[in-house]
Amino acid sequence: MLHVADLTCQILKNVGFTLREGENVTILGNNGSGKTTLARALCHLIPSESVFWEGKKIGEIAHHLRSQTINYVPTSLEVYDEYLSVTDYLDLNFFESSNPQMREEILRVLEIEHLRHSPCQSLSSGESSLLLIAGAILHRAKYTILDEPTANLDQAKKVKIYRLLKSGSYFQNKIIITHDLNLAYKLGYDVLYLEEGGVRFFGPCGDFFDPTHLESCFGNAVQNIGGNFVVNYDEVR
Amino acid sequence: MKYVSFVLALAVLVIAPFFGEIAVHIEEIFNPESSSSMLFWEIRFPRVIVAFCSGAILSLAGLVFQSVFRNPLTTPFTLGVASGATLGTALAIVFLGGLLFWQYALSFIGALLTVIVLFLLSRSLKSAQTLSLLLVGIALSFFYSAALMVLYYLSDFEQSYSIVRFTMGSLNVVGFDTAYPIVIASLLFLSAIHWQRKPLRLLLTSLDFAFLKGLHVTRLVMSLLLITSMAVAVCVSVVGPIGFVGLIVPHIIKLLYRRSSDTLIFPTFFYGGIFLVACDLIARNLGAASDIPIGVVTSFLGGPFFIYLILHRHKGSR
Repeated sequence: MLHVADLTCQILKNVGFTLREGENVTILGNNGSGKTTLARALCHLIPSESVFWEGKKIGEIAHHLRSQTINYVPTSLEVYDEYLSVTDYLDLNFFESSNPQMREEILRVLEIEHLRHSPCQSLSSGESSLLLIAGAILHRAKYTILDEPTANLDQAKKVKIYRLLKSGSYFQNKIIITHDLNLAYKLGYDVLYLEEGGVRFFGPCGDFFDPTHLESCFGNAVQNIGGNFVVNYDEVR
Repeated sequence: MKYVSFVLALAVLVIAPFFGEIAVHIEEIFNPESSSSMLFWEIRFPRVIVAFCSGAILSLAGLVFQSVFRNPLTTPFTLGVASGATLGTALAIVFLGGLLFWQYALSFIGALLTVIVLFLLSRSLKSAQTLSLLLVGIALSFFYSAALMVLYYLSDFEQSYSIVRFTMGSLNVVGFDTAYPIVIASLLFLSAIHWQRKPLRLLLTSLDFAFLKGLHVTRLVMSLLLITSMAVAVCVSVVGPIGFVGLIVPHIIKLLYRRSSDTLIFPTFFYGGIFLVACDLIARNLGAASDIPIGVVTSFLGGPFFIYLILHRHKGSR
């Protein structure tokens, strides 16, 4: 059980919620509303006293246990060494000895086998996103926070990642940060909606996407067309 | 290519003790009565060993610092460790009559104090703010330079000359007594870094990634920093601040091998040593009356070669 009690740090104000084993959540919110800050606080990249796992402060858990408990996948891949390859990067995600079979399997699932020997620094932003996701799958944390996993991907890859998240066999508990309302809707996870650093909504997906509630959050910038939520570019103010 | 350079490197290492102002006759080195034997075992051989170990320490230190600080321009010299050692030596020259023992001792203390100051300051900086630490190091260097100016002002002509000569770096050693500490330091340093190569590889991605994989990032960074600075302190106290080696050798090795830094620990150590032996060979054989300062040779040789490699790489990637 992951529990956040009255978390106040940087721009976050009194954020509190609980995630039980087997529960997934989608974090929504405008730019600068604190989504990434919350994610980084959850995995202790931003130290805080308000995040608990099984009743213990996340900062007081041994480093390797914390690592097996919660993982965060950032929006962009950062690799300092210019010669570190995709294979090298993926192998770093295993806790003990690397498992080449599993690595190859994931490369195939995400259709990036051809990049196997490429230096990480040479990848496009979409390929980097796929590599980050592949690494997180191999990491196998209990909770995985994916920060805008589909933002840099083409349409077909978006569908692929959606199916991968939906299948349930690659990640245990998922925390998805996204701006893609349609993805959030189709995933059907509970929604945590942040506004100016505070929780404005935390509840079932259905309640969030209730037409009146949706309009109170986004005005008429979002339209429901045949069960798909799309951005209304012709929005008249 | 790699085999050729390895054989060449070994050749340099083997012939190095035989060349110098006075030629050593190979058939006489095992004859304890001859002057060649004394020259070989008391002067040349220890000198090559010290050159090799110094080059190896400085190069590997450069590789570690560049990885830890994630900045290709970083070396222990940038952090003020070498300046601390230089200031210590200068203090010994001016105030303690220039006794060799005090020069070594104070230079080691200067380097070590710098590391301790950096270490204490870094604890009040939040987590692994390596950039802030680097800025502190640069500030310390300036402070030491100013203090060195004061010493120049206070010293007489002869003392000033000694200080200048030390800051140029020198491999003039006699006998094995001065060689032992640096040999031991270099071997301990190599084993420590080799032992830490896996965590080091995690640092080569990003600090966040390393943290998320369960690595105690701050602790690792601090221990690598301390180990490296100690090795550099030993080195500087014996041969003086020989700059540039630590900066360019890791880059040259990276460009030649094209592998991630954690797999380059042995090549950097070995070729760093060879580089300084080769530079010393040139320094000993070009000068007529006395040796050319080793720092001059490393910069004259390394600089153009470094620029050539960088230009070459950019051509290759186009």
